[in-house]
Amino acid sequence: MSQREGSLEEPKAESSISLLPHLEAKIRQTHSLARLLTKYAEQLLQEYVQHQGEPFGLPGFSPPRLPVAGLSAPAPGHAGLPVPERLRLDAAALAALPVLLDGVRRRQAELNPRAPRLLRRLEEAARQARALGAAVETVLAALGASAHGSQGSPTEAATAAAPAPAPGGFSAKVLGLHVCGLYGEWVSRTEGDLGQLVSGAPA
Amino acid sequence: MMSIYLFWRQPSQMVDRKRMRTSNFRWLLSKFVLLYLMVQVTGALRDLKCTTNNLKVWDCSWKAGFESVIDEVCVEDRSYSCHQVEKTNIKIPALPPGDHIMTAKSSHSPANSLSKFILNEKNVSFIPDTPEILNFSADFPTSTLFLEWNDKGSAFPYHVNVTWEIKILRTERRELIKLETYNTNLSGKDRVHQWSWASDLPLECATHYVSIRCYIDYLHFSGHKEWSDWSQMKKIPWSPNSQTKVFPQDKVVLVGSDIIFCCISQSKVLVAQIGSTLCPLIHLDEKNVAIKIRNISVSENSGTNVIFTTDDNVYGTVIFAGYPPDIPQKLNCETHDLKEIVCTWNPGRPTGLVGPRNTNYTLFESFSKKYVTFKRAETFTNESYQLFFQILPDQEIYNFTLHAQNPLGKSESAQLVNIMERVSPHTPTSLKVKDINSTAVILSWHLPGNFAQINLLCQIEINKANSKQELQNATIKGVKNADYLIDVNKLNPYTKYTFRIRCSAETFWKWSKWSNEKQHLTKEAIPSKGPDIWREWSSDGRNLVIYWKPLSISDANGKILSYNVSCSSHEETQFLSEVLDPQHKAELPLSKRDCIISVVAKNSAGSSPPSKIPTIEIPNDDLKVEEVVGIGKKILLSWHHNPNMTCDYVIKWCNSSRSEHCLMDWKKVSSNSTETIIESDQFRSGIRYHFFLYGCRNQGYQLLRSIIGYIEELAPIVAPNFTVEDTSSDSILVKWEDIPVEELRGFLRGYLFYFQKGEKDTSKMRGLEPVGRSDIKIKNITDISQKTLRIADLQGKTSYRLVLQAYTDGGVGPKKSMFVVTKENSVGLIIAILIPVAVAVIVGVVTSILCYRKREWIKETFYPDIPNPENCKALQFQKSVCEGSNALKTLEMNPCTPNNVEVLETRAAPKIEDTEIISPVAERPEEGCNTEPENHVVVSYCPPIIEEEIPNPVVDEAGGTSQVIYIDVQSMYQPQAKPEEEQDIDPVVGPGYKPQMRLPINSTLEETAAEDDIDKTAGYRPQANVNTWNLVSPDSPRSTDSNSEVVSFGSPCSINSRQFLIPPKDEDSPKSNGAGWSFTNFFQNKPND
Repeated sequence: MSQREGSLEEPKAESSISLLPHLEAKIRQTHSLARLLTKYAEQLLQEYVQHQGEPFGLPGFSPPRLPVAGLSAPAPGHAGLPVPERLRLDAAALAALPVLLDGVRRRQAELNPRAPRLLRRLEEAARQARALGAAVETVLAALGASAHGSQGSPTEAATAAAPAPAPGGFSAKVLGLHVCGLYGEWVSRTEGDLGQLVSGAPA
Repeated sequence: MMSIYLFWRQPSQMVDRKRMRTSNFRWLLSKFVLLYLMVQVTGALRDLKCTTNNLKVWDCSWKAGFESVIDEVCVEDRSYSCHQVEKTNIKIPALPPGDHIMTAKSSHSPANSLSKFILNEKNVSFIPDTPEILNFSADFPTSTLFLEWNDKGSAFPYHVNVTWEIKILRTERRELIKLETYNTNLSGKDRVHQWSWASDLPLECATHYVSIRCYIDYLHFSGHKEWSDWSQMKKIPWSPNSQTKVFPQDKVVLVGSDIIFCCISQSKVLVAQIGSTLCPLIHLDEKNVAIKIRNISVSENSGTNVIFTTDDNVYGTVIFAGYPPDIPQKLNCETHDLKEIVCTWNPGRPTGLVGPRNTNYTLFESFSKKYVTFKRAETFTNESYQLFFQILPDQEIYNFTLHAQNPLGKSESAQLVNIMERVSPHTPTSLKVKDINSTAVILSWHLPGNFAQINLLCQIEINKANSKQELQNATIKGVKNADYLIDVNKLNPYTKYTFRIRCSAETFWKWSKWSNEKQHLTKEAIPSKGPDIWREWSSDGRNLVIYWKPLSISDANGKILSYNVSCSSHEETQFLSEVLDPQHKAELPLSKRDCIISVVAKNSAGSSPPSKIPTIEIPNDDLKVEEVVGIGKKILLSWHHNPNMTCDYVIKWCNSSRSEHCLMDWKKVSSNSTETIIESDQFRSGIRYHFFLYGCRNQGYQLLRSIIGYIEELAPIVAPNFTVEDTSSDSILVKWEDIPVEELRGFLRGYLFYFQKGEKDTSKMRGLEPVGRSDIKIKNITDISQKTLRIADLQGKTSYRLVLQAYTDGGVGPKKSMFVVTKENSVGLIIAILIPVAVAVIVGVVTSILCYRKREWIKETFYPDIPNPENCKALQFQKSVCEGSNALKTLEMNPCTPNNVEVLETRAAPKIEDTEIISPVAERPEEGCNTEPENHVVVSYCPPIIEEEIPNPVVDEAGGTSQVIYIDVQSMYQPQAKPEEEQDIDPVVGPGYKPQMRLPINSTLEETAAEDDIDKTAGYRPQANVNTWNLVSPDSPRSTDSNSEVVSFGSPCSINSRQFLIPPKDEDSPKSNGAGWSFTNFFQNKPND
């Protein structure tokens, strides 16, 4: 209940913040970027699955979500957190994603060296995640909130539970699938969180 | 006991050859002794058994007996030796082959007894020591087991063959999966042996055990050789990784092989699949399972996924199925610049493996021991397989070996090359052209490379418009990274050339690629010859028109600027005119008719040689116009050789429809020619051309022949205009005009004239095709001078269609038609009318004469005398019927003797009215008898022909009958079947008598005639007023019209008759009323006639 109330009260505080025109423009710009990257993340996931062979991509195949070293999925209570806190989590996840995406790209370069489009998308995804994370941090800074120091960071939790890196090609494929999925989830979550700021701003 | 048995048996079977030579006696003696000793031994050494593990020491053991304890055993041979016994065994040095008497001494026996026995090597078993495994390890990625053991060969100072037997067991159940025999030999030293074995099941999937034993086959040992004991089992120390659950991981296998995957899991495996295909499970220890994939197919780039699904998780691995590298094909090593060698090859069959599993290529040069490695760019699918090897100084021969290797195997391909013979230069660049003169240029180009040691062979391609390609080869001394120059000669002036070049080594291997093309226009030169000229005098004969043809490009040698025209005679040369190009004629007033015209073409380089032509034209009176037709768009003209023609012949031609002085073109042929072919792009089919053949002699031209002709004849495009000049009743005179030459389109060969009966706008006449039409008449007029035609034998007053066509050898032209009606033939018409009239008159006259002459016979036959009714008693009028009316009388029937009188019917008054004969006689009583009309009875006299009785109920009720007598005169003349037919058709008409009903009163004239007839007729009184009779032809239409107001019947006697009764002699001419007959009826055919 307290979380819900908190989430209801936050827009009031944000509305006062959004009065700044340049901040509002930055939020809208970052939101647009996040929306674009959400679309790209879907394409990346589709392209990724296409190159992993069966049963990847088959309807009945759903490998368990293995913990990814350095990053966890958005927590179920993420929506109940205050927006700045959510953005902090988003920024932390987006900061961790480029390394993971680079790792996926390297493994895919071994497994699928003749899939240049997939490799290019992975490379671009890492770069775009880094850019979106920086933009979110800029928004946080403008909001007066620090991008660091939040508790329950998805990167910390993930690091704590991170197992040894999987050596096999199959594990690499599954890991890459999860990383691509996490990329999409965090970008989408960032888009939603920024969307709340955009919708909270006066027209 | 067994040992004893062997002891006894073996000497008898395996006796030495030396012993074979002893005498039988000695043999029997020895056996006896031996038997004795055996008896001795059995008492002290039970179950004696001797073995050796090193062939040096025999270890004999036995079971201890209760009777005695053996303390010492001695060998009774040359060096008698005794050996102390340790409990129940004794170790003695190996004895040489043969029987040895052994003495066992027992100090504890009461008699200090001695037991003797014979010991032979054959009774000794050779059992090697149990092998000891030094190391048992595994290479998990390759699922290979490695075994090491020591053969302990130092124990055997001889060369001994050893057989090792190794067994591999799997799982906790110790299932034997491999039993391998391994042969070695012992060389007197300890040696460590290694053996490896690759398991089809990944070693991680189950515990593997190994054990080994040996068998030493020492040939000089005559005893029993046995396997050693199995060594102690060793197992692979394996602690499964908690992460990896499926094995093998990322393995590369050959396509088509069988492979086993296993899953180490704490939970139950539900499903296993490769890709999307489910596989049956093979259960191993505990919950571990395996699947076996047979004949695996080639994998996709990222490998084939193998998945094991448990209750709570999914485990998997990737397998890469591919091929070993194919032998590199078409390995080719050459150099482009003598700086580095480029080796290219075709990898052959794709391996199906990419990334780290892809094929690595290494190019190794055996003389220099240098190699280069192929670096691939994985992202490119169309890889260029080539390697660069730097050329080494002072080395021309290179022995290259290309090694290809991937996880599944390796292959190689080799090539030995002399690099000086494998030069394929780079593409020449910077091609330039420089003029030397109008027919020569210098080409220069750049060729990178160090070719100082060789000569280059270069090929220059020279292209000229509308000309065949030319190739020139040139050998050039090679230089190092420099430009090359070469001269190109024999070019045409003022011509655009396209050059390009390629090079190779003089020791030809390959051409380089062609350089880029370079275009160049050579310099101008003076025209090589003067223009082809002709001259024509103008129509008034005052001016001379000089024509010339433009020079060809090859002759002009440049751009022609102008032409100089001059006239030269014996005395002088007069410059006439300078004509600028592109004008190619000059009309000049010429004062002298005898001079030589010369024309010179000029370009920037100079003037051409002059072209000359005399102006004089020699007349020719004997000239005829000939005809010629071309063959295949060409005109062939030939003429007889004329020695007088010393210069040349000229054929000029023009379109004949143009003016006389037209000039399309001309052609000059040499004076010794007798024929030429004229062809021109301007020639068109169907156009008449006029050709003139001139011969040149005595510096003048004479017209020799005048020819008209066609390249190809076509059909005329118009029809000749024709008119009808004259028309009669049976002929037409047609006249037509010539077709203009332009529309004739060929030499006229004739006309086709069709004519046919027909009128304008009738469908029959629309198509006038003579084929298959017999009514169409055709006349082919081949005399083309004929311009008229008379068509005879026509019908008068008939419409004819006339059609006229002209034709050439090219076809028939269009039709032109006309309709003409011939005049009427009046004489024929008159004849046609008069002849039938005359015939009719003659027939009438003859008939009348015949009838007149035979009138008596006719009268007797057809008109006999009728009795006078007044003389008949039956004709008594009943007074009671109508008193006071004397005029009304009826016939008395009784005294009369008629042929037959019978009452057929009586009718009621209204109906009788219809059948009543109205006559002036009957009218008077009718007026007074209005009250009883039903009693009005009409009685007629009738010949006895037809008798009918029709009962009438109305009459019966009235209680009276009346009789009507019909005289059926008609039946006498009609065919017999006719009355029946009529009765059947109309029963009312048949029995009744309708013509009697309405008798119109005819004209007064007729009445008068009738009264005259009555007066002239003696004794006969008809029942009705004869004035009502009409003398009408029985065949008149009126007589057959029942509805007609004028009804007639023929006989005054019988109202049923339709024939004229023959009157008395002087009254036989029938009187016609004239109605319904005309002169045309004279010719009319009537069906009743």
